[in-house]
This record gives sequence, structure tokens and C-alpha cells, in this order.
Amino acid sequence: MTQKRTAILAALLSATALSGAYAADPIKIGVVTPLSGTYAGIGQQVKWGLELATKEVNAAGGIMGRQVELTFEDEEANPSVAVQKADKLFQVGKVDFLTGTVNSGSTLAVGQVAERAGKLIATTVSFADSITADKCSPNVFRVNARAGQQSSALAVWLSKEKPKAQVFYLGPDYEMGRSTVAAFKSSAEKVGANSTGEVFAPLDSKDYTQYFGQLRAAKPQVLYTSVAGNDTVRLFTQLQEFGLLNNLTVVGASGTVTAQNLGAIGKAAEGFVTGVGYSAEIDTPENKKFVAAFKAANKSDPDLYGADSYGLIYAYKAAVEKAKATDTDKVRAAFKDLKWMTPQGEKTLRGGDHQAVQTMYVVKVTGGKFTIVGQVKGEDAIGPDTCTRF
Amino acid sequence: MVDALTRSMRASHVLVAILVAASLAVAAFGVATNDTFYLRLATEALIFAGLALSVDILLGYTGLLSLGQALYFGLGAYLSALVLMVIPSFWAAFAATAVVAALAGLIGGFIVNRVRGVYFALITFGMAQVAAKIVYNTRALGASDGLIGVPVININLGIASVSSASPAGFFLFVLALIVILYALSAYLLDTPFGRLLIALRANEARIPFLGYRTMTPRLVAYVLAAMVAALSGALYPMLRGFVSPELFFFATSGNAVITVVTGGAGTLVGALYGSVLLTVLKSVIGSYTEHHLIVIGLLFMGAVIFLPKGLMGSVRPLIERMLAREPKQ
Repeated sequence: MTQKRTAILAALLSATALSGAYAADPIKIGVVTPLSGTYAGIGQQVKWGLELATKEVNAAGGIMGRQVELTFEDEEANPSVAVQKADKLFQVGKVDFLTGTVNSGSTLAVGQVAERAGKLIATTVSFADSITADKCSPNVFRVNARAGQQSSALAVWLSKEKPKAQVFYLGPDYEMGRSTVAAFKSSAEKVGANSTGEVFAPLDSKDYTQYFGQLRAAKPQVLYTSVAGNDTVRLFTQLQEFGLLNNLTVVGASGTVTAQNLGAIGKAAEGFVTGVGYSAEIDTPENKKFVAAFKAANKSDPDLYGADSYGLIYAYKAAVEKAKATDTDKVRAAFKDLKWMTPQGEKTLRGGDHQAVQTMYVVKVTGGKFTIVGQVKGEDAIGPDTCTRF
Repeated sequence: MVDALTRSMRASHVLVAILVAASLAVAAFGVATNDTFYLRLATEALIFAGLALSVDILLGYTGLLSLGQALYFGLGAYLSALVLMVIPSFWAAFAATAVVAALAGLIGGFIVNRVRGVYFALITFGMAQVAAKIVYNTRALGASDGLIGVPVININLGIASVSSASPAGFFLFVLALIVILYALSAYLLDTPFGRLLIALRANEARIPFLGYRTMTPRLVAYVLAAMVAALSGALYPMLRGFVSPELFFFATSGNAVITVVTGGAGTLVGALYGSVLLTVLKSVIGSYTEHHLIVIGLLFMGAVIFLPKGLMGSVRPLIERMLAREPKQ
């Protein structure tokens, strides 16, 4: 009888000992991203990128022996919905870390929720400079390139290819359009370009030819534009019809010419140059491996959102392994000046403003496809740290 | 002897009392389980219930379909956020919102009340879109990013103070405010002025023959609705700590209309129940599928087809019958 009891006790003890050894609850990462609506396409890439990296990390033993678990919530690209979902993931889902927000409004608002809940978040998509500048938060990180990095990369390339170029600016007439033009103008002038004039056309303009007189009179060598979507299609085809594309280099924001409107613009897009943080064309073994795995898993090419989201999981893994914990303060300290490998090469999270510093790429439309024509070192494109909160 | 309209208003009061009792139970449960998320979600439901209430004053009583009530909700939210960032006082924000909303409602009312029916709906929609675009493109208002950094405030109630960061405390405070807004609207709509609004909805051409002007009551109803919407909106930045231009968008106005129709137009209490139901449903369904909008759409269609008077429009007659029976016993 006693023997039996001790045997049971021993069995129980060994069972608890075993569960102690496994003491590995999964590490939970919340993802608040648009899965429906206008930005659903971006949310899809975010999801694919995160899932691929998580699968790889889990297959290789997880983070400190703990598996990684993703929980998705649809934010409908609406900050009011995003904060509600973030609150849910923090309070009910008890996630250790949160990511996925796309539009800058959502990232800023969710950043504040994280601050009040004492958790950390990272964005892999939002471009607005303010997130890691005047509206920076100790609890918010950005692993993708911000708008300023894209425009300085383009400006650096421009200063090499066309020193002291005469530049004309044409932007869409709304807040974002005006601020992108202002940002590029200041970085271009810093590296020696001369501004010959600027004009703003209303969103959804049907006729851009009314601005062509001004454009010709200014005699620019370079035209910078930050129009997007179908506006780009009309602007470029009209420029071509008027023969203005001869002897004119057209450069622009990363969203001006994309895979979506490239086909519709056709030949007029030839020679367009822009600065980006990632391109599937990057010719490194890491990127080739990533693109192949991404295609195999999702039957679609990765874009910058997919690549940056993929890279984030490895950043978090590196930080948690360095901190040996998932506590907010320890992970934040570990993220400071963290260096880690991503498909687009090594990135560094700058401690002063939580912005990732990375090699920037300059791509050009050649034969209807984007090809990489230049690289700009991370330090040359990053710009000063203007965050004063921490 | 009370007439049918007063009796149905009393039935609404009974339903509000039930909602308040249920809310108190939820608050007690929330405190017991140390919950944050569900109490804040319930607070948000009540805030949007205030917006729906304002739509019901127009749609259910005066017969005016406003597709742009988010204009005043957003106005209240932005104004409150701006005031709180300078003076962190609830009463300053609330007073400023009340004054500005009354003025804005008066100006807006003069514009929209020149037309009737579908044109009214279109102009209210257009005005809200114009406001949304202006806010979206004004850098001083945070443009597309909105404003973050609205401070946590302590609301001084004389005998006690409530922190906007305390989930249960702020929930009860918002509950009290929304019930007061409901009570004020219900009181006004039960006066002869309220009867005039109902008559306006029924047959506007006849009102002048009874010796009343039609412009004045329409305008008063519009200003009242604007103030209810703006004062509810003023609570939003206190709860979430930020405002964004999306608060002005059609999605916000449209949701309020769906809430009222589902809950029961012309009952006032329907707006409250409808908002609680829709907010909770959205949050729960949204976590299971990205096609939650389809589910909400189907529910709305189902409500319109099978419960044409809305949820409360179907429940309230039962209460009315109970109230009518009482004096005999």
C-alpha cells in the first residue's frame, strides 16, 4: 500500500518536474492590422511576412525555447478601431508585444495605448516621420524606413548622377502631398540641387497639361512628383504626349509608381527613379532565400511591407534573447542600438529615436520593371535624431 | 389619465432603468474581476449611444434622416481634446463643447433646414464630408494623423473626483451623463414641443393650419441633436486619449443610423440598446473573422425585415401593456 502511494507520489513529482522543464508558455505577439477595406492588401503582406518568420523561428526552437504565437485583429485602417483592438490584445489577450498598424494615425494612437498599458509596439509599415521624431514614444519602435530616409536616399543619388540639377516639383494638393514635396526639396537643396519652381494639382486631376507651361518655362533637368495611383497614370501619359519626357529625369515618392499602376502607365514610366527600403530584386543570398520561401508559402512576391514585417520577428527574437526576458523595460533596453539581420541586410535600431537605420536602395523603371541602380548607406540617409522625449 | 405617447415614453424609462441596473451589475463584475478592456468597451458603447440618441431625436421624432451627425460628434471630440490639452479640466471642455455645438448647430440648422427629405440627408452628408476634409488637411489639427496626447484627467464632482483612467469609475460617470442626456431629451420630447415634432414627422403641410411655425421646431430639434452628439463626442478623447479625422467620416454617421434602426427609431432607448448590442457584436465577431462587416450587414438587413420597428420598438409595447394594467390592481 505505502509502496504504491510512494510510486504514485514519485510519478506525480516527476510529472511536475517535467512540466517545470517545459515551463514554456508561448510568447504572444498581437497583430493589429487592416484585414478588410482599402489597406487590406498591405495588411495581407504584413500577415504573410510575420507568419513566415514565426514559422521559421518556431521550427528552429522558438525564442529562448518558447514558441511564438501570433494573434490577429482587424483594425480597418481606422485609429478608433485600432486602439480598441490593441486594448483587447493587451488586457484580455495578454500579449507581450504588438505590431501591424499601417496608417500613421493608427500607429501613433496605438503607441499611446501601449505607453499607458506599459507594453511595447513596433510598426513595420507607417512612413510618417513624426512617429520617430516629434511624436516619438519610448514604447514605439519602427523597423521600416521612414519617408525622410526614402527622400534623402533619392537626393543623395541625384547629387551623384546629376550634380547641381535644376529641379521642378509637382505634388498633389493635400497635406501629405505638400509635406513630401517640402521634405524632398530640403534634402535635395542640401546636396546642391536648385529649385526652379513648384506646383500643386488637386487630387484626382484629369488634366495636368495646364501646369506644363510653367514646367517648360522653368527648364528643369529633373521633375520630382509625389502624386499616386491613377493620378500618376494621367500625369505620365500626358507628359509623354506633350514630348516633355525627353531630356527630363522624373523622380518621385516610393508610392508614385508601384506594381499596381506600372502596367497602366506603360512606356511613359520608363526611367522613373525612386528611393525605397526594400526591393525583391536585392541581390544577396539572404534576400534570395527569403523571396523563395515567401513565394513558396504565399504564391506571391514579397513587397517592402512583407519584408519589413518578416524582419521584425527576428528583431524581437534578438532583443528577447539579449534581455533574457519579455519584460517591457528589459526588452526596451535590449532594442537600444540592436543590430540584426533582415532580407535587406543588417539593420540598426537607433537608440535615440527608435528608428531603424538601414541601407537604402534607389530603383529605376527599366523595360517595365524596377531594377536597382544604386545604394545609399544607412548613415547617409537617416538624418538627425530629433526625438526629445527620451 | 395618461395618453398613449406619455405611456410609451414611460415604458422607455422602464427599459432605461433595466439598462442602468444591468450596467451597474457589469461595473460591479468588472471591478471584482479587475477588468479593464470590457469596461472601456462598454464606455465606448455608451459614448456612441449618445451619438445614436441624437440621430433618433432627428429621425425618430422629427422625421429627418441625418447622414452627417458625425460632424457634431467629431466637433465635440476635437474641441474637447484641444481644450483638455491646454486646461486639463472636464468642466472647461464640456462647457466649451456645449457653447460651440449650440452655435454650430444653429448655423448648420439654418443651412440644412431649407430643404426636406432626401435633400436634407444629402446636405447633412455633404457638410460632414467637408468638415472631415478640412480636419484631414489641417496641420494644426494633426491632419490625417489626428491628435494624440490628450491627458488623463480627474473629473471634479464636488463631493468626489473620478479619474478618466479608472475603467469602472469613468464607465459609471459616462453612464450617468448619457442617462442625463437621455432624460433631458425625453423630457423635452414629452412636452407640447415634442408633440409638435411628432406632428411634423406625420404631416408637415398641416402644421401651419394648426397655427404653428414649422421652421422653429425643426431648428430647435436640430440644435438639440447637435448638442447631444457633440457632448457625447467630448467624452471620446477622455476615454481613448486621442482623436482622429475618422471620427468625422461617414462610417461614424452611418453606424449611428444603423444603431437607431436596429435598436428602434422613435424610442430613444433603442439608441442605447442598439449601440451596446452593435459595439459588443463588432468586437466579438471581428476577432473571429475579417468578414465581420458582412455579418453586421446581414444582421441589419434581418432587423429591418423581421423587426421593422427595431429591437425596442418590438419590446416596448409589452412594457406599455404592463403599465396600462397597473392602475386597475
